Order: sequence, then structure tokens, then C-alpha cells
Amino acid sequence: MNELTIAMPKGRIFEEAYQMLLEAGFNLPEEVEMSRKLMIEIPEEKIRFILAKPMDVPVYVEHGVADIGIAGKDVLLEQQREVHELLDLKISTCYIASAGLPNTMMNEIAPRIATKYPNIAMKYYKGIGEQVEIIELNGSIELAPMIGLADRIVDIVSTGRTLKENGLVEYEFITDVSSRLIANPVSYRMKGDRIIDLVRRLKKCVN
Amino acid sequence: MSSIKMFEKPLGMRDTFPQIYEKVEAVRNTGRDFLCSRGYEFIKTPAVEYFDTVGKASAIADAHLFKLVDSQGNTLVLRPDMTTPIARVATSKLLKEMIPIRLAYFASVFRAQETEGGRPAEFDQMGIELIGDNSVFADAEVIVTAMELLQQYGLTKFKVTIGHAGILNCILQDYTESVEQQDILRTLLVQRNYVGFEEAVESFDLPKAKTDALLQFIEEAMNLKQIKDIEKYVRKNDALEYMQQLAKLLEIANLADYVAFDFTLSSHMSYYTGMLFEVFALGSGFPLGNGGRYDGLLEVFGSKVGATGFSIRVDRLLETLDGLANEREEAVVVLFEEEQFEEALAKVQALRVAGKQATLQLRSSLVDEKAFLAYFSEVVVVGQEEVGGE
Repeated sequence: MNELTIAMPKGRIFEEAYQMLLEAGFNLPEEVEMSRKLMIEIPEEKIRFILAKPMDVPVYVEHGVADIGIAGKDVLLEQQREVHELLDLKISTCYIASAGLPNTMMNEIAPRIATKYPNIAMKYYKGIGEQVEIIELNGSIELAPMIGLADRIVDIVSTGRTLKENGLVEYEFITDVSSRLIANPVSYRMKGDRIIDLVRRLKKCVN
Repeated sequence: MSSIKMFEKPLGMRDTFPQIYEKVEAVRNTGRDFLCSRGYEFIKTPAVEYFDTVGKASAIADAHLFKLVDSQGNTLVLRPDMTTPIARVATSKLLKEMIPIRLAYFASVFRAQETEGGRPAEFDQMGIELIGDNSVFADAEVIVTAMELLQQYGLTKFKVTIGHAGILNCILQDYTESVEQQDILRTLLVQRNYVGFEEAVESFDLPKAKTDALLQFIEEAMNLKQIKDIEKYVRKNDALEYMQQLAKLLEIANLADYVAFDFTLSSHMSYYTGMLFEVFALGSGFPLGNGGRYDGLLEVFGSKVGATGFSIRVDRLLETLDGLANEREEAVVVLFEEEQFEEALAKVQALRVAGKQATLQLRSSLVDEKAFLAYFSEVVVVGQEEVGGE
């Protein structure tokens, strides 16, 4: 049996996905010590987890240093990497939307959009026939319209509480997001039996 | 942007140091001997072509072409692949002399520069083109040649997945209700987005039988061990018969173990009208190569004779061959002092005649004698009796 390397985002998604693997009947320890370790070996199943930033999971998988991984659809849409998207795990569901101060119009001449997702934002506004200028930020995107850096933001929304607390309203829904199981194209072929088995077992646990 | 430092190469470009050079040369020689022995003749084409001809006809997407401008203002491309230039040469000249023709190449090809590492803008490709034979035997020859070439390098853990555009089209036509739906599904398959495929199928609101068939197809058709597993999805048609015959030929060639069928395999290029395949091996995170029938490309250049071929990326092949022997031949260095030149020359020539790799070096020019001599298996100091190597 080939060793399988799985790239996982740290934190809540890891815990949820780990639970799904347990439900799917994988022989994993009930509790994993999450401390500061970046690699967790499970010799019983010949599985190795590597813990990465959510944005980096597709990078590890595309380069083939991880065979499969769990990545948010937002990251996949933003990076457009050459990976197989095999299964929607339907965990950490949310959506991408545009938001801004209430009752405002976008600047006519040079509408500015602040976002962590420059490619998704650019593609969306192109699609509705709007040429915009993108300002890339790394977090606390909600600040941008409040302080006058941008007319709109494009970001993920799960409950809408952050928007509300900062006096912003949602304008346009862009796309749904959830965690996906992705695979490296070579691993998918060379370790196909293991990966297909894993997908089939996980599929039964997706609700 | 920081200013360019003197040691820098343009983005995406790599140097080939002696050790790697020798490995590439070994790969080239093995490949060349192997392909020549099967009647493939090597060909070279210019590094630069017109964007309007080769650039536009190439299977490489526009955004990935390395573009330049010539002195007349024409847009040029650094050749993105060898298939397209060979199609140009073949249709304009070679096919007038002989049909079918078998051509091979080992050449560097280029891509638009990218900032992320691991995506070189220039890399070597090796491959063949069999032009002017429309039969399934030509396709079988190409696939068999690709597999036996890999075996020639001692690779055993590799896989070739074969699909057929005709079968995929037939399935998409039969189980959807409009051309738009087919295009949506085909695009999702090119992106390998199987989740998107399922979502799209469900959103089409098709009759239940069709929805179920497509969902089952996507679950199964990526990894079929045998051709008969696809038969329940397709009407009897030419493409299916073609693939059945191809599968049989590969079995006769005793290579069926390395083959899987993937009928979701799709190319963004419309001229891949028939069989297409991809080559994978453990050791590289990216596919080793691909191939297929590209009759449509020849039509772009005004010929209808049909063509098929494959290409392998040499950089990725090297990653899978880490065990490749890297022995330096017996290397001798002859050290001499200024007044001993004549004697040294005679000595070194005698060694070369004896078939050794012999370097002549003035001893007083050495900065770090120990470090220098470490590269050689034998050291001869002129005027002294033979001194043993390290």
C-alpha cells in the first residue's frame, strides 16, 4: 500500500474533516494533539497529514508533495491550479459576496474594490460588464469602505455578523463556497485505488 | 521592482550545470537510439515562429505563449511545442516526398514567464509525430512507442490513460438536451472539476434517467481498467469500435497493464478529434507527457492526411529517474610545470589515445590543489613516477 499524504488546513476545517474520516471508518486516533506540529503520521493507515494555511493547500497538492488535500472553493477559484476537484465535503459552507456602506453607488470613473480574492473579484465584475480597480488586502477587509479606501469589498460571508457590526450591507451574491477534496493528477493515477476508495467512503458521510 | 543583479537570469530560465548536462545527454542518447531504431528521423525547427501561424495553431493557450516582436513589427513566439512547427514543415514540404512520415525531436520549448517557482519558461521535450496514417495501428504504434521508451529508461511505475473525444462527445450528446449544456460539461472536464460537473448536471433539470446516467458516468469513467466498462454508456459508434480495436492492439503488444481508460479526458483544443492520452509516473508531481491524434491541426495547415504523436517533458522524466547512474568516466589529470610542457603533452596524448578522459593542467595555476584534484580519479604529475589517485 502506498503512503498517502493529505494536506489539510489548520483549525476548524481540520477537525471537521478529521471527524468525517473517522466516520468513514479510517483507523485514526480519536484525539490528535494539535500543538505546533506541522506533520502528523498515522502509521496504521499509512496516512500522513500536513497542516498548512488554507490558501496553501492547493499549492502542495498541485506540486505533488501532497497527494490529496482539503481546500475551500474560494481558494480554488482564486488560484485556478491544476488539481482534480473530486468531492464536495459540504463543510465550512459560506459564500462570496460584495458589500459596502448602505445606500452608496460605486464611483463612476474608477470604482475600487478591496479584496483578498483579486481574481474572483476581477472575473465577477468583468462578467457583469463593469471595469473596476482592485486593491488587494490580507485581512480586515471591512475596513476599506469604512475608511474610504474602496467602494465595495468582495469577501466570504458566513453569518453576516462581521458586516453588520461594521455597518456594511451585502450587495451582490457571487458564489457558494465549501470545502472540497482535491487531488494531484499524478497521484490520482498512480495511487488511484487508495484515493478512489477514500472518495467513495467519504461520499457516504457527506450530508 | 528591484534592479537586476549581475548574476540574474531572466525569469523562468535555468542554467544546466555539467552534472545535469550529462544526465540530459544520457537521456537524449538513449531516446535518440531508441526512436531511430524504430524508423523515426530527427528534425530541428527554428526556436522562433510567427504568432499568427504556429502561435495561434498551437495547443498551448494564448496566455502561456512567450511572445516577442520582430524588426518588422510582427508578433513572434518562442516555439511552445514541437508538434505545430513539425505540422508546418510536414504539410509544406516533407509530405510531398513521402507519406506516411515518422519524425522525432528533442528540443527546448518555451512558455510565458511565471513568477511562481517550478514553472520553467524553457524546458526540453522529446517526442514523435507519425503523419499521414489514419489507421488505429498508427495510434497504437505511438502509444506503444511512448511506453517502451519509458521502459527503455528503466521506468516500471508509470501509467498511460487513454480517452477518446468521439466517445465523450457521444455521451454528452445523448444525455444532455442542448449544445450549451454539452459545452458547460466539457469545460468542467477540461478543468477536472468533477464536483462542478455533478452540480451542473443536477442544475440542468434533465429527465431522471439522463441525470443518473451522467452521474454514474462521472464516477466510473475516470478510471476504467477495461474498454467494455464504457460500453453501457454509448451507442455503437465508430469511436467505440476504434477504442475496442486499440485496446486489443495494446493487449497484443503486452502493455495492457500500464493502461487505464479515462473517457472524461478532454482537451481545450478542438482539433484533438480522436484518441488522446496522458502519461504519468511516480516521482514527478506533474504529468510526464501527453499525446493523441491531431488531424485537425494538419487541416489548419491545409492537409487532410491525419497525424498522431506524443511528447515527454525531459525535466520531469529526470525527476523520476533519480537513480540514473551519474558516473564520471575515468578522469585523469596531468599536472606539469612550465618547462615540462612537451613531456606533459606527450603524456596526455598517450592517455587520450588509450581512451581516457585526460585534462592537462599547469600546476602553478591551481588555487586550491586539493579541491581541484578531488574531481579526478587519477593524478599524474609529470616528472614523477605515477602517483595514485585519491
